[in-house]
Amino acid sequence: MSALGGGSSGGEGINPVGTAVGIVLLLIAIGALYVLSPGLAFMSLIGVIIGGVLIGFGVHFVPVGGAPAAMGQSPGIATGVTMLAAGAGLAGLFGGAWAAELGFGVALAGGAIGGGLMMAVTCLMVNVIYVYGMGIPAASGKVAKDPITGDTFEAYKSQGTEGHGLPFISYVGGVIGGMLGGLGGTLIYLELLKVYEEFLPGMFNVPAEQILPLAVGLAGVFAIGMFLVNAVIAAYNITGTIEGPHDPKFKRFPRAVIGCAVASAVCGMLAIILVVM
Amino acid sequence: MSVEITVSEGGMPHNKVLAIGLVGSLVCIYLTYMNTLANTQLFAFFGGLAAVFALWWGTDTIKHLCSYGLGTGVPSAGMIALGSGVIAMVLATKLSSMNMIPVSSVLIIPIGCVVIGAILGAILGYIANNIVNMNIPVMVVSLAELCIVGAITILGLATMVSGSFAFADLVTGSSTFFGVEVANYQSSVIGGGVIAVIFMLGAIAVQHAFNACLGPNESQDRTLMLAAECGFLSMITVAIMSFAFISFTAAVVSFIISAIGWVYTYKQYLVMSKRDAFMWLDAKPIREKEA
Repeated sequence: MSALGGGSSGGEGINPVGTAVGIVLLLIAIGALYVLSPGLAFMSLIGVIIGGVLIGFGVHFVPVGGAPAAMGQSPGIATGVTMLAAGAGLAGLFGGAWAAELGFGVALAGGAIGGGLMMAVTCLMVNVIYVYGMGIPAASGKVAKDPITGDTFEAYKSQGTEGHGLPFISYVGGVIGGMLGGLGGTLIYLELLKVYEEFLPGMFNVPAEQILPLAVGLAGVFAIGMFLVNAVIAAYNITGTIEGPHDPKFKRFPRAVIGCAVASAVCGMLAIILVVM
Repeated sequence: MSVEITVSEGGMPHNKVLAIGLVGSLVCIYLTYMNTLANTQLFAFFGGLAAVFALWWGTDTIKHLCSYGLGTGVPSAGMIALGSGVIAMVLATKLSSMNMIPVSSVLIIPIGCVVIGAILGAILGYIANNIVNMNIPVMVVSLAELCIVGAITILGLATMVSGSFAFADLVTGSSTFFGVEVANYQSSVIGGGVIAVIFMLGAIAVQHAFNACLGPNESQDRTLMLAAECGFLSMITVAIMSFAFISFTAAVVSFIISAIGWVYTYKQYLVMSKRDAFMWLDAKPIREKEA
């Protein structure tokens, strides 16, 4: 029993039956919560779904090179999609959670900036290591010309590789991906926190400020859990390496967006049922 | 560029591993209920043993799933397992106190944990297989198994920390059992963020063993022994954390049992590594001067 680790046989295009079943599941989850508790809890579930979609979409921007990138044989950051997305998203999530008391907009902006900043620093250090440590120039293997700067790659690309380093477009994509991931993770956290702050005091008959650590703990661990679920589903969609928004694999994102919406709806419903039932 | 993932053939069939893991972990979690029956906390360590059973089974599931080539690396399977497992587990601990469910006994929690985990995991598997188009035959079953593994691992380790698997005990500081006057939510397993540490301990333990052993010479008993070793290593950390929540004696008992388990499995793992290695040199860092 042996199989190749690089390319899963994942089919192209959208599977109509699977997608239809997924959308039915999504509607069931939304409907169930609307029956149980319309109002705040229902609106929060919508927010959680939007957050999950943002994470799933944002992961596709992050340039991932995997093990080949560590050997300078493909462009991107030398680690897996899940780890990178988790790093960017959790950095954003912690930034946003810290700013949660300053208002919804500030917290969301904090989350987005936290995630984007983490990716910007990572991409910068990756390029420093590639250029000054390994002595290789940045060249994309998927396109001949950088869509933003217009630089050509052909002359710099080593034979037998799929490109190397981290071209400017990949850098920009990484920062956008980090911002979207941080934004989505923070949105999930804030929506869950709102629900728990509303319902937990009544459940335990204690004042709101006393229950706040519990609300923060629950919302935090659920936000991390949902972040990882969404990041892994997006990673399954990418299967291996992606250079950034100019990569042909980027066009697969609709599948991941639908998948993440369904997964977030189901997970979010379970997380909210915890307090409304 | 791809790395070949080779999986050993033979060994124990996966269904047998599944059965042993599921039954073993459930029995161990139910044994922690003796704490309530005997009004003590000495049996908290059974929660950790439940987590070891679950991790042992989860490693074989990951091996089964990853032999199809996910393209994303082995750790992602551990991440989705624990990410969905924590949601299933927290919801399950609340089952006995929900208005809509007539059963009010906490004994429903471990079974409920398995059921909720199976449903959530199957839905995620369906999403990965049919919406994202992975087309892997064992995807739905494997993700359902992994979600149960994640949920039981967190439930077991959380039980080991606090001595109980009921929601009210996990969210309320257990040092307040002298009187109910001020329940301190900040010093609880969930409110204090201890569950986040348990989450990461479980996620690393479940994915590490196969990630470390995969390759041309992978053998099932060695991989599973490493899984058990990772489980006991997590147990040691959890036993140290449990000093803050349960009685000193109970925490010491937990620590001793996890340390014994870890030393035994680590030694066994070394023996098996030597058995599977082409050659073994007992090299010494500093050569002694020959007389």
